[in-house]
Amino acid sequence: MRLTDREQGGVIILEPKGKIMGGPDASLLHDKLYECIESDKKRVVIDLAQVDWMNSTGLGILISSYTTLRNHDGELKLANVTDKIQSLLTITKLVTVFEAHDSVDAAIKSFD
Amino acid sequence: MKKPVISGNRIVVPSDQEYLSDVDAFLEGTLRGFGGEESIIADIAISVSELVNNAMLHGNKSSEDKSVTVEISRVNGSVRISVSDEGGGFDPSNVADPLAEENLLKEVGRGLFIVRSLMDKVDIEATDKGTAIIVTKALRQS
Repeated sequence: MRLTDREQGGVIILEPKGKIMGGPDASLLHDKLYECIESDKKRVVIDLAQVDWMNSTGLGILISSYTTLRNHDGELKLANVTDKIQSLLTITKLVTVFEAHDSVDAAIKSFD
Repeated sequence: MKKPVISGNRIVVPSDQEYLSDVDAFLEGTLRGFGGEESIIADIAISVSELVNNAMLHGNKSSEDKSVTVEISRVNGSVRISVSDEGGGFDPSNVADPLAEENLLKEVGRGLFIVRSLMDKVDIEATDKGTAIIVTKALRQS
């Protein structure tokens, strides 16, 4: 997995790319998230458009991001969830946990 | 330091998650050679990544001296994949229900559940040399 980030309208957008399967992937996203929290940037969107697939480790990373932000009075939203990831969120019932939007812009607007 | 070893349709990797991407590249290349549909290749790749992760972490306890072996074979229109470790085995009935309300926000514990959801068949064989999990999946949707 590769990870880039940008800021738009006061919201941090994290853009993972490739496959999220374990190993160094977890610390990469986790470290970036804590960097955001320490900079008092607690509105975060994870844009999943360029994630080929993820396994349960990837889902664990999303849950960790969600709970970490929530525990610091922040909020996490997902954008551009692909069919493959949507299917995993559905079978694991995590679709009931995450707020997902069809685009990054829609996710950003939802913070207002 | 040990390195991944590929021999025919088999790859043996040390118990280090650094090598997950080697297994994935080997697996996806082999499955494309078998003519699998892309969506099904992704389902198999997700499942095998779960099994290899489990074999490294829970089976072999990340011991550098122990390896994980992945063997792929084509059986008519399906693929059969065996993932084996050199650990002490496990009891799948001890795995907590990941769909239970109290487990929903746990970061781990969904791997085998996802494998069972995505694959057509899952068999677990425990021996005194370790655990082998064998999954089967049709390469194309009927």
